[in-house]
Amino acid sequence: MTATDAHADPLSRIPEALRDPRDGFGSASLGKIGMWIFLVTDCMTFSGLLLAYGILRAGTPHWPAASSWLGIPLTAWNTFVLIVSSVMMVLAFSACQEGNRKRTALFLGLTMLGGLMFLGGQAVEYTDLIRHGFVLYGNKIPGMTPAAQSTFFVVTSFHGCHVFTGVVYLGVMLVNTLRGKYDGGNSNSIEIAGLFWHFVDLIWILVFTFVYLIPVAS
Amino acid sequence: MSEAAHPHPSAAHQPHSRKEYFAVFGALCVLTALEIGVYYTHISQGLMISALILLALAKAGAVALFFMHLKLETRVLRIVVFSPPALVAIYALVLILENSWRFMTSL
Repeated sequence: MTATDAHADPLSRIPEALRDPRDGFGSASLGKIGMWIFLVTDCMTFSGLLLAYGILRAGTPHWPAASSWLGIPLTAWNTFVLIVSSVMMVLAFSACQEGNRKRTALFLGLTMLGGLMFLGGQAVEYTDLIRHGFVLYGNKIPGMTPAAQSTFFVVTSFHGCHVFTGVVYLGVMLVNTLRGKYDGGNSNSIEIAGLFWHFVDLIWILVFTFVYLIPVAS
Repeated sequence: MSEAAHPHPSAAHQPHSRKEYFAVFGALCVLTALEIGVYYTHISQGLMISALILLALAKAGAVALFFMHLKLETRVLRIVVFSPPALVAIYALVLILENSWRFMTSL
């Protein structure tokens, strides 16, 4: 980008890095860029839901303390399970880069297992809550704020749907791996699947903090 | 663009070692334990909220930078990824504080 060309070539005004999106994104594949952009939009969706929860909570007189109706230990365990599954995912990607089909498949399977364990934990949690009258919509518990119920279920189940989708997505990746599609260090698709899975973990880290841990005024 | 055809150049950029991944995992465990610890400690609400949010952001950042390889990507991609959530955070702060104030002053 030379100063003398500024009038002759208007493109020279644009910084080098931004002239061609592929150059700005370095060696990232189009698929990876696409997944990142999708994840940013998904982040916006979760932000909308979490923001609604935050605003409702800030403006409500009697918001129930999470510890009175949620099991923090079970959820802390679920958080740990999801973090471990993220490690499994990154090890799967590492194995794929090394061209090790069996290891890739193993770690993909372990990642999926973590996801299924998380979903199981949520199922246990939901069953317990519903049995005690803490439901999506309704006034079964005296003194309970209905907004707390609806925001809880909408936020956590929307995330749960992402975990489920992730498990299915990884299942497809696993089948493809076993068929040899990602042999020889062809790890781009695995990396992209990993991005989705890590995103799911990341969102849960934030949901766990904002829904379960942030305390009400005492 | 067929991704199955040949190994992609992005695999060539020096990836994190397995050691680094486990180090990040260790950090995530410590941060989670800290979060739970803060939760059960008797400190003021403001302090607890600040601490929990900072810890959560640190964990999210660790996952994004190391597991999602953002640290290895170009600055342009990092800006593309981090800008919208940063704007949301500002928006959230304003909206939640406003609602909280509105509620407090209506008592």
